[in-house]
Amino acid sequence: MTRPFRIGIIAATAVAIFAPLLLVLVQSLLSGPFFGQNVHVTPDAFTYVFTDGDFWRALRNSVIISIGMTAIAVPVGAILAFLFVRSDLPGARWLEPLMLAPMFISSLVLSFGFVIAFGPVGIVSLWVRDMIGFVPWNLYSLHWLILIAGLTHVPHVFIYASSALRNLGSDVEDAARSTGAGPLRVVLTVSLPMVRPALLYSAVLVFFLGFELFGLPLVLADPQGVLVLATYLYKLTNILGVPSYQLMAVVVIVIVAIALPLVFLQRKLLATSDRYVSIKGKAGNQRRVAIGKWKWPALALIVAWLAFTVILPVAALVFRAFLSSWGEGAVLSESLTLEHFRELAGYPNLIRGIVNTFLVASVGGALSVGLYALISLAQHRWKSRWATFLDYSVLLPRAMPGIIAGLAIFWVFLFVPFLQPVRSTLISIWFAYTLVWMAYGMRLVQSSMLQIAPDLEEAGRICGATGAQVSRYVTLPLIRTGLMGAWLLIFVTFVREYSTGVYLLSPGTEVIGSLLVSQWATGAVDTVVALSTINIAMVMGGLFLLTIFRKKQNG
Amino acid sequence: MAKLSVSDVHVRYGTNPVLKGVSIELADGEIIALLGRSGSGKSTLLRAIAGLEQPTQGTITIGDKTVFDHGCVNVPPEARNLGLVFQSYALWPHRTVRDNVGYPLKVRKMAAPQLRAQVDEVLDSVGLAEYGDRHPSELSGGQQQRVALARALVYRPPLILLDEPLSNLDAKLRDEARVWIRQIIKKYGLTGVFVTHDQVEAMGIADRIALLDGGQMVQSGTPEELYTSPNSFFAADFMGLNDCFEVTIEAIGGEQATCRLGEARIVGRDKSGKRPGEKARAVIRVESLRVVDGPGPARVPATLVTSVYVGSRWEHLFDVAGQQLRAFTTSRLPDAAHHLELPNGQLWIF
Repeated sequence: MTRPFRIGIIAATAVAIFAPLLLVLVQSLLSGPFFGQNVHVTPDAFTYVFTDGDFWRALRNSVIISIGMTAIAVPVGAILAFLFVRSDLPGARWLEPLMLAPMFISSLVLSFGFVIAFGPVGIVSLWVRDMIGFVPWNLYSLHWLILIAGLTHVPHVFIYASSALRNLGSDVEDAARSTGAGPLRVVLTVSLPMVRPALLYSAVLVFFLGFELFGLPLVLADPQGVLVLATYLYKLTNILGVPSYQLMAVVVIVIVAIALPLVFLQRKLLATSDRYVSIKGKAGNQRRVAIGKWKWPALALIVAWLAFTVILPVAALVFRAFLSSWGEGAVLSESLTLEHFRELAGYPNLIRGIVNTFLVASVGGALSVGLYALISLAQHRWKSRWATFLDYSVLLPRAMPGIIAGLAIFWVFLFVPFLQPVRSTLISIWFAYTLVWMAYGMRLVQSSMLQIAPDLEEAGRICGATGAQVSRYVTLPLIRTGLMGAWLLIFVTFVREYSTGVYLLSPGTEVIGSLLVSQWATGAVDTVVALSTINIAMVMGGLFLLTIFRKKQNG
Repeated sequence: MAKLSVSDVHVRYGTNPVLKGVSIELADGEIIALLGRSGSGKSTLLRAIAGLEQPTQGTITIGDKTVFDHGCVNVPPEARNLGLVFQSYALWPHRTVRDNVGYPLKVRKMAAPQLRAQVDEVLDSVGLAEYGDRHPSELSGGQQQRVALARALVYRPPLILLDEPLSNLDAKLRDEARVWIRQIIKKYGLTGVFVTHDQVEAMGIADRIALLDGGQMVQSGTPEELYTSPNSFFAADFMGLNDCFEVTIEAIGGEQATCRLGEARIVGRDKSGKRPGEKARAVIRVESLRVVDGPGPARVPATLVTSVYVGSRWEHLFDVAGQQLRAFTTSRLPDAAHHLELPNGQLWIF
């Protein structure tokens, strides 16, 4: 790849990243929508938002939820990681793939599942009431929101804590044991400090995701009038009767201003945690710690967590999709039906939504991976300020929750004349998805690129091939399987995405995720459960392919 | 005419200087070994010649074409037309041996039949004619190394660079490969740069050795020159097996320094530039040290500390005036008082 080509790609990426945010910044300082007449520069929007009691309540709730879910997710995730990786837990091999399930199911769909399972007339609630005479919980409360948010984010901690523990060889612990330290002392002075960077990193990640929460508070807190930042933004859409773009822009700036430092902090933590890699000892010959009689309580804890966060909500939701109605006194045998799925066919927008979701995830996902690969190649093995610049730039979309990025991109398509015709096509959705998941996708692609020894590429150059020729002959063929895996993961990610499409929803750009948000608002529960079930099925399909693909690679 | 000319090349990694001004002149058809410890900058120099590192100063000329001149010329690696054998071999695992070797010709747009003929010829010359359709992972380490060499030779570059190509082979294979690589480079009439940290390897393969330390060239010359007249303590100590010990200079006359070691007086070649009364370091090759029966000129009394039998010889450790010296003999030594003879032509004082 020649230098101008690299710079061109990096510059184009930077434009795509910065343009939406710049537009938001400009919009926040205007008196009305940027495309309106007689718009002038004014700090009014900031004054309005910062004097709005709802804004401060939403901010406070977001902070409380973030802290609460971090306090739940980190210890639970760390304990589960220890049990799976380092203890002789029975059945660990079978249960471990399920541990990540909450990450793969859309949190909006999961929220519906919670309502249908544990809501005031939920399937589990009624069942419990029949046994003890009353429902001992109220799902629509801040406590429950925090608990659910915390428990559904356990996998984010688990994934980092378990890989850190896996890389930690028993030899460093044995070395401590041999100097006379007891097992508990070893855990406290050796094992824990060595995975501390991973725990700290995941704590910041979960805290940050707390500010991004949209689906859970929309479904579980909104009925009580409890707002968080993202739902406050969503509610602002029509607060003044006309689209109050300037107010939304201010909230976007607030959220990005909170998220950006956290993203930078994560990056810093990741860099320092790499330092520990070299001193991790020899992994591989790990001895598992016998936990004896704690085996069964531990197993019960894990099964309870799985049942509460995944199995019951998903099962209830899918079950509900095949029932004509649900409520007190409903008779099961008479209620089983396929009617809800048949009804979908009557609404062209819903059918389009399903088709579009599949297209964006499959074809679009492949294009996105291609684009991520191109951008990654542009900075691959290039010691230059441009490469560092791109490195930091891709953190920016990471700091924009989907709903915000969707909004900002919607404005870009509204603002830039030659983009206007594409606004109501799938291209706008694809562009928004690609940008929102850019940091994630590029990490997937780059992690396989970094596995190629630099020698292999240098050898190509020495043989007389240009950078582009080397990319085609050496780099790309060697990461082919990595790209394939990235595509399947991006497929699942795009299928479950819901918030990014909310503001881009228009005839022609429907996707299941944004349809779910709008259908839920109209109270069309039957449609919501049917669409959710289809969404879950698509995610499962993607994960199934991924599993087969990985098996084939290893076998 | 110099085939390769490196002049005052500096390379920095971040703020850390790795090469601090190295110059090398290499004649057509000559093989030079860049010898040094890890971190001496030898691999960096090779990579700078290949175009894989960007010097911050200096010029590099291959043949009569300047490929690097700081600030004005920087020819990319693919246009330097040289061959490089990587330490890891860097064979592309997803391509067959024939594809690996043929790639340089392919990017030079050679027609398929001619390409195939040339690949087969070079594979034949490295003794791998049968293996063209295999993948690198199906070959042994030694075979992979020959494929890497074939890939570097196939387009007849005038200059071939080898980065520790033998370090991944086991000891026996390494000895064979060393002789064989020298033969094949000479057969093709190429100019070669060979990086190694092993002085025996360097002496065995190269016409000339450039000894590097701390990013600078310490000494350069034929293997014989380096071995027999090192000009610094580092060069003397790096080559061969040595006894190093401390002496006090008593008198300096011409090139000779008379020194005191304990009660005894020995004479060595003075390279120290020091004055009488100062302490200096003495170096002698272990094989030059002789165990003798009685006192005499250039002899010092020694007490036998311990002896080890290693098959071809006995290795002894002596105590000489509080310092330990090694010496070899072909037979066992009695537990008695001994003397060591340090011939003055082979003792250097630094």
